[in-house]
Amino acid sequence: MNCQKFEGVVSELARGQMMAAEQRGEALAHSDACEDCAMRLRDEEMLTRGLHSLAAEMESLEAPANIEDNLLMAFRARQAVVPAPIPQRRSHSAYWLAAVAAMLLIAISVFVFRWTNRPVDEPQQAGRQEEPQRKPQIVENPTPQLASNPTVSGDDVLPIHPKPKRNRASFRRPANAQVANHVTNEIATDFIPLSYMSTASLQDGGQIVRVQLPRSALANFGLPVNMDRYNEKVKADVLFGVDGTARAIRFVQ
Amino acid sequence: MTGGQAGLMNLKNDLSDTELLRSMLAGDDEALTLLYRRRQAGVYRFALQMSGSKSIAEDVTQEVFLFLMRDGHVFDPARGSVSAFLFGVARNFVLRRLRVEQLLAPLNDESDDDIPVLQAGTDLCPLEDLTRAETIESVRKAVLSLPAKYREVVVLCELQDVSYGETAEILGCAIGTVRSRLHRARALLLAKLRPVGEFEEASSATVKSARCFA
Repeated sequence: MNCQKFEGVVSELARGQMMAAEQRGEALAHSDACEDCAMRLRDEEMLTRGLHSLAAEMESLEAPANIEDNLLMAFRARQAVVPAPIPQRRSHSAYWLAAVAAMLLIAISVFVFRWTNRPVDEPQQAGRQEEPQRKPQIVENPTPQLASNPTVSGDDVLPIHPKPKRNRASFRRPANAQVANHVTNEIATDFIPLSYMSTASLQDGGQIVRVQLPRSALANFGLPVNMDRYNEKVKADVLFGVDGTARAIRFVQ
Repeated sequence: MTGGQAGLMNLKNDLSDTELLRSMLAGDDEALTLLYRRRQAGVYRFALQMSGSKSIAEDVTQEVFLFLMRDGHVFDPARGSVSAFLFGVARNFVLRRLRVEQLLAPLNDESDDDIPVLQAGTDLCPLEDLTRAETIESVRKAVLSLPAKYREVVVLCELQDVSYGETAEILGCAIGTVRSRLHRARALLLAKLRPVGEFEEASSATVKSARCFA
């Protein structure tokens, strides 16, 4: 054993702590050979004796008797006020129950709040859930370009990803106020396919462009036309596929 | 106290601290009495050795057992003994009280009036008796002058004879931390006691009583 290792065990040695017999023997042998470490051990032993003497001197000290009386009085007074203390387990479960009840209350409050503030035409929207699920956001295009320019520039439309992720916010309330107005104030027909295609292909996503058409266009799709307003325009949403082809149309009022 | 009550107390004397605490929390004042009598001295001495003040030690002892009455249900037997729990509560009260005292008036030698006079042994010769008392007083002052984190390990491990493991529970630290703090605390104590020059001689006199010829 060297002096550094001896320093690590000298306190334990002086305090008579449990040590491996071999380690203890090595430490004592080192202190026999090294004068500095022997002195170090002596100091530690003297400190231990001094501390033991202090502990022995204070061993008989106790708190004054009046403290016990005060405590008993306080205890009896407390028992008079609180007849049955709450056991530990019960108090913990009470906390948990209170926490769960609070969470349920919050959840119910949020649900009720949302239910009472939902848009009035939500049933219609629910009815239109049969329509393409990834219904894109609508952007009004001021110039009708359906016939002449089926591909629309990206500046006028919001791009729709083929498989957009479900955005929780879009189910709560549209962030865009303009879109919200469209949704809440307009009545639209179902999308009418413009070519021979399955309804499923409408679900592939795409872009919707708001256009205006002559009211007579309604007749082309078998819809009734008010002849008094024959010359007026009618709004329609044209759904373009990802390849730029017009796939379906719906009329908006 | 009637004979029946005394018999009941004797029966309860065999109960463990945890059982007494449980009974106490159920409203049994005898359990409180027994638990208090069993543990008050350790708590009181711990507070006294930590603070050096008799009044603080008394207040802390009372506060610890009041806390036990009020919040004893927070004790978890899986985390340690009732004794360790009480020391932990006492430690918090002492440190809080010392912080307040430091703000009002720093502890100094004048506070020694508050400390009970240590009774020297009567079976020693007068010179040795005197030397021993001086040694104890020097050690006591040295312990009190230690920073709190070192003082508490010295008080628990050296003066209260609490194991390293239990000390670690009380202080909420690892056993290795207790060991290293104790090592450092002892080095500080030696450094404080060595310059006086009397420590070595006094300790030697205490141990080797054969050298006393008075």
